[in-house]
Amino acid sequence: MSYGLGHHQQKLKNMWSPIQPTPTCVVILFSIHFVLKAEKLLKKNGIGHDVIPVPREISSDCGMAVEFPCLESEKVLELLAAAGLRLAGLYMRVGKDSFQPISAGHLAVNAVN
Amino acid sequence: MSTKPAPIYADNAATSFPKPREVIDAVSAVLGGMSLSPGRSAHRYSLECSRVIFDTREALADFFNCPDSSRIAFTCNVTEALNVGIFGLLGEKLHPGDHVITTALEHNSVMRPLRYLEKTADISISILPVSGDGEVMVSELPRLIRDNTRLIVVNHVSNVTGAVADIEAIGRAKGDAVFLVDAAQSAGVFPIDVARMNIDMLAFTGHKSLLGPTGSGGFYLRPGLGLRPLKMGGTGSNSEAEIQPDFMPDCYEAGTPNTLGIAGLGAGVGFVTRTGLAAIRAHEQRLCRLFLDGLEQMKGITVYGPAGGRERAAVISLKVKGKSESAVAQSLDRDFHIMVRAGLHCAPGAHRTMGTFAEGTVRFSFGYFNTEADVAACLTALAIISKN
Ligand SMILES: Cc1ncc(COP(=O)(O)O)c(C=O)c1O
Repeated sequence: MSYGLGHHQQKLKNMWSPIQPTPTCVVILFSIHFVLKAEKLLKKNGIGHDVIPVPREISSDCGMAVEFPCLESEKVLELLAAAGLRLAGLYMRVGKDSFQPISAGHLAVNAVN
Repeated sequence: MSTKPAPIYADNAATSFPKPREVIDAVSAVLGGMSLSPGRSAHRYSLECSRVIFDTREALADFFNCPDSSRIAFTCNVTEALNVGIFGLLGEKLHPGDHVITTALEHNSVMRPLRYLEKTADISISILPVSGDGEVMVSELPRLIRDNTRLIVVNHVSNVTGAVADIEAIGRAKGDAVFLVDAAQSAGVFPIDVARMNIDMLAFTGHKSLLGPTGSGGFYLRPGLGLRPLKMGGTGSNSEAEIQPDFMPDCYEAGTPNTLGIAGLGAGVGFVTRTGLAAIRAHEQRLCRLFLDGLEQMKGITVYGPAGGRERAAVISLKVKGKSESAVAQSLDRDFHIMVRAGLHCAPGAHRTMGTFAEGTVRFSFGYFNTEADVAACLTALAIISKN
């Protein structure tokens, strides 16, 4: 089973059992500009991630989202907040096509729609 | 003439030529390499295209010292950016009965919108005067500012005389008014730091000294300052909503953008950054000085604009005694293959202050790719034309 975490997933696969992949989080931002800004920040800080289409289960919006290991979520949220990026939503992937909204404390995250 | 000289382009204030090789390559790589609709679909071409735009936005933000690149929006030129600024303030910060200050050196892309608001929206306008040698008199600003002054619009570098306005001093003295700078002629030659200069909105064009293609440009807008968008429509974001997004950059970028132009602009900014503003400015000012020194030796030529060792851009307006501006420009082109511009240069106010209104001037404008030999050829040609 792959959750589309690209090279990061690959790396983790070697360490983790492929049956229990590392849980991932999906952050929704307000537009592609902020997605690419987030991507740049994660890249700069060496955090594995994937830019993915916003899953239809989360929103019918046609944009992109950023997926990363939940292990890194604290660092990711810190980086995004420091750069002034507002979150439109934060989810944990709980199945191939299923997501659960999670709250990010002071960031007051709301699900899109 | 027996031998045909190579053409000399001395009309860089209209648009720069040539463009750096990397600008041409960037445009062609994008045109030939991917579909051009950014942020609309989730496939790889759309994403790559979004990256091209993102990279240019980040490069411009760095270039103007703006910490948050989402505060840069793209337009198709500085005229559109200035229109967004001036008309977009109406109903936001600017209301009927309010006051605006501008200078006598503005381009029509500022004066026409302002005169329209004066006529239709009861906005009053004061003009910062210009000194004898064409410099905006910043010292007069405090006397012009009123309680209801909401907007100050200043052309950083005159496209007629090359005079440089002290925008840092204006930024210090602006009070509560929105400070809008027209950087059409300055961006890519003179340093612009929106934070240090206290600029609320900076409008720039891509195709002059930023060395990008025509059809590119944009603006920086200070955080917290909102404008009414001039156009609304698809942005690729918030698609489920029938109202225009209220966040930058999307709120001002409805419609599929000029991805090609933006790609080229990014490469242009890259070229300028790598070459260095100081090196570009030093080269252009050396050409300018050479030209001015040569003109000084010539009889029958009147030069307008800042005198002596004043800081200025390589934009030189002149008149040849006894010759019409159009005849001089035509002879330069036809007989000497030298391309310049003659006339009013879209800034009638500037010509009124210099006393060259109606007929205008002959304008030489040198860019980074001009050489000392180009300047020498221009001087030779003028010497011949002025004698005949
Ligand atoms: C000072 C100034 N403002 C505005 C413009 C308009 O530029 P654009 O045609 O790129 O909108 C120009 C150049 O033409 C200019 O020199």
